[in-house]
Amino acid sequence: MKLLDLTERLGLVSYRNQAKSDIKPHITVDTDICNSTCPHKCTTYVCPANCYTMDENGDVHFQVEDCIECGTCMYACDQGAVDWNYPDPETGRGVTWNFG
Amino acid sequence: MDEKFDCIIVGAGIAGLAAAMTLARNNMKFLLIEKGEFAGSKNVSGGVLWGSDLAKLVPEYWKEEDGGWERFINHRRLTFMDEESTFSVDFKSSHFNETPYSGVVVLRSKFDRWLAGKVQEEIDNSDYAMESFIATNIKVDEVLMEDDKAVGIRTGDEEFHADSVIISEGVNNLLTRQVGLQDDYVPADHMLTGIKEVIRYDQNVLEDRFQLNGLSGMSNEFVGYATDGVEGGGFLYTNRDSISLGLVAGIKDMREKEKSPHDLLNTFKQHPVIQDTIRGGEVIEYSAHVVSSGDKRVMPKELYKDGVLLCGESANLLMNAGKAIQGMDFAMRSGILGAETIVKAKERGDFTSATLKEYKQALADSYVMKDINNFQDAVHMLHNPTMIQDVPNLICDFGRKFFTIDNEPTKKSRKLMQESIKKHSSYWDLMKIGFKGAKSL
Repeated sequence: MKLLDLTERLGLVSYRNQAKSDIKPHITVDTDICNSTCPHKCTTYVCPANCYTMDENGDVHFQVEDCIECGTCMYACDQGAVDWNYPDPETGRGVTWNFG
Repeated sequence: MDEKFDCIIVGAGIAGLAAAMTLARNNMKFLLIEKGEFAGSKNVSGGVLWGSDLAKLVPEYWKEEDGGWERFINHRRLTFMDEESTFSVDFKSSHFNETPYSGVVVLRSKFDRWLAGKVQEEIDNSDYAMESFIATNIKVDEVLMEDDKAVGIRTGDEEFHADSVIISEGVNNLLTRQVGLQDDYVPADHMLTGIKEVIRYDQNVLEDRFQLNGLSGMSNEFVGYATDGVEGGGFLYTNRDSISLGLVAGIKDMREKEKSPHDLLNTFKQHPVIQDTIRGGEVIEYSAHVVSSGDKRVMPKELYKDGVLLCGESANLLMNAGKAIQGMDFAMRSGILGAETIVKAKERGDFTSATLKEYKQALADSYVMKDINNFQDAVHMLHNPTMIQDVPNLICDFGRKFFTIDNEPTKKSRKLMQESIKKHSSYWDLMKIGFKGAKSL
């Protein structure tokens, strides 16, 4: 069986407000903390949807669009950089599982 | 809406729905609020709903042509895994074909939605058919507190008032933290990420491959190489025309070992035995969700305070003691017990801790807290590195030698076992596990 890469996997996920460009992020990340004092930058590998990425300079960036609301980053970040919430059904991007 | 409810339940997962069903049957006026488009749309599980509480909640649920569940379990398998091999303890019995089943596989998006339909039927039959509601698409921002007593909830600019609030919001328990029953930051130590693919097959292929008959099903847990050295394990459950295949992996351990859950899942899927198992399937959904380990140290400080109760995973009621991963059954029972306490509170006209503490007692008297308390040693043991790596490795090593026939003089099994133990662990480590194991199970 062919293995799927993460983009293909996320392509199977149904999101709300998919067409909206002005969604309100439900997670805010203080990347200044990630990029100054964090010793591990673990969100860049523990997030199952790869919402946290690292650029060639080693700086952490965050995008909420692919978030599947699992909560991993809320626990994994022990530096106080992640402010986690659930998406607003009207203005947020949240996930809708077909199987769950 | 100015009117006050007897109770507001936050979250239409299994705990919230079980609570709602119980309230409806006791003619209570309540509001069940769910942030998803429908009950179950935000929920993920492995997963098997164990035990017979479902039959109490929805009598003879198995008679429905298209109930919310997938298959009943009559085949259990625990698999130890190294890089090349698997060694399984396998039990299948027609004894488990009898209703009420002792476990049913569920897909939450379907199951919770179905259960919500059953709750709505009970609401329609209750005295408050027009005044109790299941409301979806609403995110609760805050539990309203007055003099440290819960009096309702706020969503956006709107407030809804009630004599009591049941928080059944799941493991990412923001409201639990807001009302002060859990610390604002919960460290990753006893939390795991569950990651899963639903893989669809031609139904005949599925039934042949897993020896399924009618609606019978199999549950399979994996320890060892499945998680590539990370605390946790793997699972495979058969649905009607698909399987749920996934892992749970310790968040702290992934952080320290610099492992990514989706890479771990691919490693698991590339294992030769899993490759044979999933051949020909098509992935139709990828999902992930945090679960707690069942370690009591992560549980909230208290399960209640004036006007508010915690049910299900918002109270971190979940456990894997090696025999089964249980959580949805805990959610169901705690929802029922929580709602029964609210019914008592209404009878007495006292929704303070004086009455609500009886919920904690009822839960303590039930199998939920009895099992969580009795099997803490097993929970700790299962998260021990010896158990996660050395034991599966030595069992598979022994298996390989035991089942190899090479037309040379064959060593006795005892000797083979000694060699495997020496290679992968030590007698001392195993004795420690053995003593603990004997005590913990």
